[in-house]
Amino acid sequence: MNELDPRIHQVLDGELPLESLPPELRATVLRLERAAGLLRAGEAPASVAGRVLAELRRPRTATPGRRVLRWLTERHAITIALRPIWSLALAAVLAAVVLVPTHGTPPLLGAQEGIAQFVGHFPGASSVDVVGPFTDWRSGVIPLRDDDHDGVWSAVVVLPAGAHEYMFVVDGERWVADPLAGRYVSDGFGRQNALLIVRPVGR
Amino acid sequence: MRRLALVLLAVAAPLGAQGVDGGSVRARLVGRVPDMAIAAVDSLVRAAAADDLPTEPLVQKALEGAAKHAPPGRIVGAVADHADQLRQARTLLSRAGGPPPTAGEITSVAAAMVRGLPPPLAERIVSALPDEPPGPALHAVADLEGHGFSEDAAVDLIVAAARVGLRGLRLLDVATAAVHELQRGATHDSALATVRRALPDVPSPPKPSPAQVNRARRPRPGA
Repeated sequence: MNELDPRIHQVLDGELPLESLPPELRATVLRLERAAGLLRAGEAPASVAGRVLAELRRPRTATPGRRVLRWLTERHAITIALRPIWSLALAAVLAAVVLVPTHGTPPLLGAQEGIAQFVGHFPGASSVDVVGPFTDWRSGVIPLRDDDHDGVWSAVVVLPAGAHEYMFVVDGERWVADPLAGRYVSDGFGRQNALLIVRPVGR
Repeated sequence: MRRLALVLLAVAAPLGAQGVDGGSVRARLVGRVPDMAIAAVDSLVRAAAADDLPTEPLVQKALEGAAKHAPPGRIVGAVADHADQLRQARTLLSRAGGPPPTAGEITSVAAAMVRGLPPPLAERIVSALPDEPPGPALHAVADLEGHGFSEDAAVDLIVAAARVGLRGLRLLDVATAAVHELQRGATHDSALATVRRALPDVPSPPKPSPAQVNRARRPRPGA
């Protein structure tokens, strides 16, 4: 770096008049003053401490809504103090909710709908379906279940209130009228259908 | 012979019958009911619609016959018979007076007659209870008859129950109470007497539990 002429320092410090300098030094002083002016015009980069203090001193004029919005959108460090045992319990509950099958959401029953429970004893069967007008007489729409493999198959179904003819289809081919139905009607094809009368739940 | 005549009559029915979409009926039959039976069943359904009879029970009868692997002629015959039963039920209800019967009333009376209730008996019950939906009363009498109670005793008990204020499906509870008396060892006469004395206090069946309701599935035949 070039050293400045001491007379320039004296002029900048106000000890000498500018006019006392030779023209080349006078030009240097003018350049220096222009540069200093530019530096004064721009904001000086503040230090971290300076910025913090400036933030602390900044007048708080924001509305409550704006403050809430700012709180929601700014980043916060959140600390949750939790005993490990509660963490494990929470994890177990979440796992149960996610993993345990719910068999679909419970049905909302209409005023003219009721619940029908079909139960049949078919030991050794590999499948049992209940069919009727409510399945368009198709198998596979309402399969009965035998979860504990004791030969007792069952299904609980939402049906419109009223009389319903039905039969069980065992292993996809054997048609059986429910022996526990208590009511039977001729099916017009040489057999008998069981007859179930469903009551509306809101009766 | 009568069945053949019914089928021929149905085939000759006007194809433009109102109240039934022939295309949708056919679409439900195709692929399930044997091709040889579809045209006749379709005509029977159109004839029923033209006659203001419910048609869904006829479609269901055809689907049932097909599912049970009945031959085409048997399917058509069963559908024709069922149309006849519906027509008879409508006539019976009309004779009993009141407003024109609904499809549900016609269907329920036909269903009770299919259980074996003779038409004159059904008409007697409907006439005795003009303000009562016919289905439950007829099924209650059929329940009693099915357990050996005489026609007259069965009708008298159900009409008596209706006259003390029991309505609709509660009439089925009256029949159930009489059957329970039999199962406890009572004779038919004493069972009737016990229930008649208790009227109108006969037990109702339990409502489904919340667990049952939560477990219940809703059938979706088309799914």
